[in-house]
Amino acid sequence: MTHYAMVIDLNTCVGCNACMAACAMENQTPVWDKNKWRTYVHDKEIGLGSDVQRRFFPRLCNHCDNPPCMTVCPTGATQKKANGIVFVDQELCMGCGACAMACPYHARVPVTRRDMRQGREFYGSDYRRTSPSMDKCSFCDHLVEQGRKPACVETCVGYARMFGDLDDPNDPVAQMVASGAARALMPHIGTRPNVYYIDDIRWRG
Amino acid sequence: MDVNMTYATQDMWTWWLAIYLYFGGLGAATLAVTFLTDMYLKPNRALVIWGAGAGVVLLALGSLMLFGHLLDKTAVLTVLNPLALFNQSSAWIAWGTQFIIWMMVWGVLYALPYVRETEFPHKVPVIRDLIDKPFVIGTARLVQSFHRSVGWLAVINGVGVAVYTGLLLQSFPAVALWHNPAVPLLFTVSAFSTAIAFLLVLMYTLLHDQADEHVRVLYERIDLVLIAAELVILFSLYQYLKNGSESGVRSMELLWNDYGWLIGFIGFGLIVPFLLELKGVMRGWASRVPILTAAVLVLAGGYLLRHYFMYAGVYAYPW
Repeated sequence: MTHYAMVIDLNTCVGCNACMAACAMENQTPVWDKNKWRTYVHDKEIGLGSDVQRRFFPRLCNHCDNPPCMTVCPTGATQKKANGIVFVDQELCMGCGACAMACPYHARVPVTRRDMRQGREFYGSDYRRTSPSMDKCSFCDHLVEQGRKPACVETCVGYARMFGDLDDPNDPVAQMVASGAARALMPHIGTRPNVYYIDDIRWRG
Repeated sequence: MDVNMTYATQDMWTWWLAIYLYFGGLGAATLAVTFLTDMYLKPNRALVIWGAGAGVVLLALGSLMLFGHLLDKTAVLTVLNPLALFNQSSAWIAWGTQFIIWMMVWGVLYALPYVRETEFPHKVPVIRDLIDKPFVIGTARLVQSFHRSVGWLAVINGVGVAVYTGLLLQSFPAVALWHNPAVPLLFTVSAFSTAIAFLLVLMYTLLHDQADEHVRVLYERIDLVLIAAELVILFSLYQYLKNGSESGVRSMELLWNDYGWLIGFIGFGLIVPFLLELKGVMRGWASRVPILTAAVLVLAGGYLLRHYFMYAGVYAYPW
């Protein structure tokens, strides 16, 4: 059985934001509102005085094995595939926002009818969305089904984003997770996330 | 994972969700209390009609708040279907929606025989035509045969709505203020306290009947106990928040440093009504004004609780 996961190496993320752009174009997200991107790279300064380092921290849906957004979804629009990908059935979603309230990773965003009107102007006749919904990253499942990787992974210049199968012991992603080098965010909440991070040790040195 | 945390409140569910929770709890508990009073304490036609009416109207208004903020209103049909419970039994909104619908249905049915016996509805054109239809007359007769069973079905669904308002918030694991067992308890106790306050206002103004004196006295005593329980739960919640996670500590700081919460809700919404009702229960009041004042304060406090709760939930983001 396949169990998809992503590892993000904070040591090699250079904050170019190409992942954000690739995701937005691939998934036609509302780029005009920075609060509605499926993935976002936070830019933070860490340190004091002249000893300051910039840290780039990409975030996205963690495709949890115990996803609270799915548990609270009253219509069943938020679903999980056998391969671990959590996705939204746009037609079923009524947009109550409970998923956004439940998500500890700020990964659920509303796409409104206004966004759709703007989307049709921005993306033109190729615009695919047919109804408003609470949106989220889908690990680009339409690409994954074709044997490709998510757009953010394919475009990452520093190879900071890696995508693989946790159930394949030979997969580098599975090995990084198994070794403990890559770790999940806030595991104490019990969401059992499938996005792992390799800590950046530059600024700590 | 060594991360730099960011703490943030949310702007997704704000005052309008507080109104949804407030009207939901108040309406449902009002219906439940009036029906239980009618079934076991003293048959009271006026109280039942007011209870069912308040339940239906407040729940409808509260639900409209949520409905108005849905992104895709047509998709709400999915959750109105009772089968949603089988498909999504883990989602409290699915349960809450069914509780609300069935509370309204059983509530209207329970009140129907009383409505037909009352003079006023027969003077209102649309309602008169409706309640004089043979189908409605037959339904009222059938309900009369199973009045207590119908009453219990309404009460169970009403209690379900009141508890649901707290369970909904409790199901969000990222926020310590919401994700703890005190919340459903606090919201349920508050719902019944505000419902009794609402009924005391009614019974001291529009439904002022000397024969209901013992019901009013009982309501005052129950409300006193409920306010005391609310204060104990709040004290426990405070203890839980102040030495727990950073999310909880920040919520505690937001709430207990805000005069609206501290003086508005805890002071005037709980402690002042508690003292007024305590004096009323122990030595009585010469006038109805102090109890009416206490009831109005409890009603205002009930909204403040939910309002501040929505704004004070703190998320801890690892970036």
